[in-house]
Amino acid sequence: MRKMTSRQPWFLQKIFSFVACAGVALTLASPVAAQANPNPEDPPPEFVGQVVDQLIDVIKKDEAARKLDLARINQIVGEYVLPYVNFEKTTRLAAGKYWRQATPEQQTALADAFRNTLIRTYSGALTRVDDGTSMTIMPFRGDASANDVVVQSQVVESSNSSPVRIDYRLEKTPQGWKIYDINVENIWLIQNYRNQFSQEISRNGIDGLIAALNKRNSSN
Amino acid sequence: MSTVQFRNVLAGLACSVLAGCAAVGNEPNPADPWEGSNRNMYAINDAVDKAIVRPVTELYAFLVPRPVRTCVLNMFVNITEPWSGLNSILQERGHDGINTLGRFLLNSTAGIGGCIDVASTTGQPRIANDFGITLGVWGVPSGPYLVLPIIGPSTVRDGLSDIPNLYGNQIITIGLINDVALRNSLWGLEFVARRDALLPISKTVDSTALDPYSFIRDAYLQRREAMIRGNLQDAEQLPDYEDFEAIEADEKALGMKEDTPQ
Repeated sequence: MRKMTSRQPWFLQKIFSFVACAGVALTLASPVAAQANPNPEDPPPEFVGQVVDQLIDVIKKDEAARKLDLARINQIVGEYVLPYVNFEKTTRLAAGKYWRQATPEQQTALADAFRNTLIRTYSGALTRVDDGTSMTIMPFRGDASANDVVVQSQVVESSNSSPVRIDYRLEKTPQGWKIYDINVENIWLIQNYRNQFSQEISRNGIDGLIAALNKRNSSN
Repeated sequence: MSTVQFRNVLAGLACSVLAGCAAVGNEPNPADPWEGSNRNMYAINDAVDKAIVRPVTELYAFLVPRPVRTCVLNMFVNITEPWSGLNSILQERGHDGINTLGRFLLNSTAGIGGCIDVASTTGQPRIANDFGITLGVWGVPSGPYLVLPIIGPSTVRDGLSDIPNLYGNQIITIGLINDVALRNSLWGLEFVARRDALLPISKTVDSTALDPYSFIRDAYLQRREAMIRGNLQDAEQLPDYEDFEAIEADEKALGMKEDTPQ
């Protein structure tokens, strides 16, 4: 279906993109300045802003990604998202009390499987980036000296669409800040996987959960 | 048959009809005592969606360019703003209520009937609200999770609230149009436009959820709870995940446990 949406009759595209430009896009278009790599040692709001700005910028400029080439988008996620995310912690918290029952090998396998699920989640979101996509970091609320903080942001997916609220939860590590949980419109990711994880583990054990995640990842 | 026996039979019937008790797995979720029947309704909704609603919506998305679809959706959302604003006021969130009404006035005029969300670009994003949230703020418990026909995820409280919501959002807005064909066409278009806005979410659920039913249920309940608490308190209302690695680290520091990899 993704292919379909990008193939409207050309004349309609021309007419509508003209209308959109004249009416809306002018007020929204904000040039994204070229930046250095995000610095995890910066304060969390700046750090998250750098990560997301860089990501949106890369997608906007990448021909293959703009054509919704999922392989390329996965590659971009690997390069521009993964280094700043602590997947192991995300997986550990989603597994909750079961984490301790897992062997170290199972823990590694589980984190790998869940990482692929999360890559698919991010990739899905990134296929919707277009020229009108923009992001604003909200003023930081909370304790600036804490080791566990939340950075709030608003993402406008496409010109004139309603802003989506996205929050990032970060933890201070010896290597600087790392994102480990994400909230989209009041739904925390880890929270949302906890029941699914415990459901699967109580039925089929930890290996069953790993198998289920891998099966999910290899389908469609 | 004594009254007590009769009651037990009734309870048993209600249990099997409403909850499909036997169908539910080992650990029943306290928020979802009717999981069995909810899963059945979910399956029906999903089948109808995949067979009819989604194909129609995807055709709409194929034929109509994104800026136009955004405009159409914005207009439908705009006419529900007064009802959102009224609910904010009923929740003693007067500031939100005023902002929502301000959005309605600005978007209806400068935004050409709501087509352009001028208010969001000037720093006032939409504050979604409805009567279910109002009841929640007033202390009415959500009751069990409930999957409704067509509408989908809900709770007993939210489901009942959909009646006043329908009145405030639809009956006294589009419902006032006398031309039946036009009115029904608008409702049809609104349904498709709202489904279209949810397509990306459906795709994400399809490609990432282990159990789409639980995924949608937990997302719905989480979001509604957060809306009742209000956005302002979010920073203090973070989920508290028990981190068993931190516990292990503590134990290690106390010399209670050997080091484990990772």
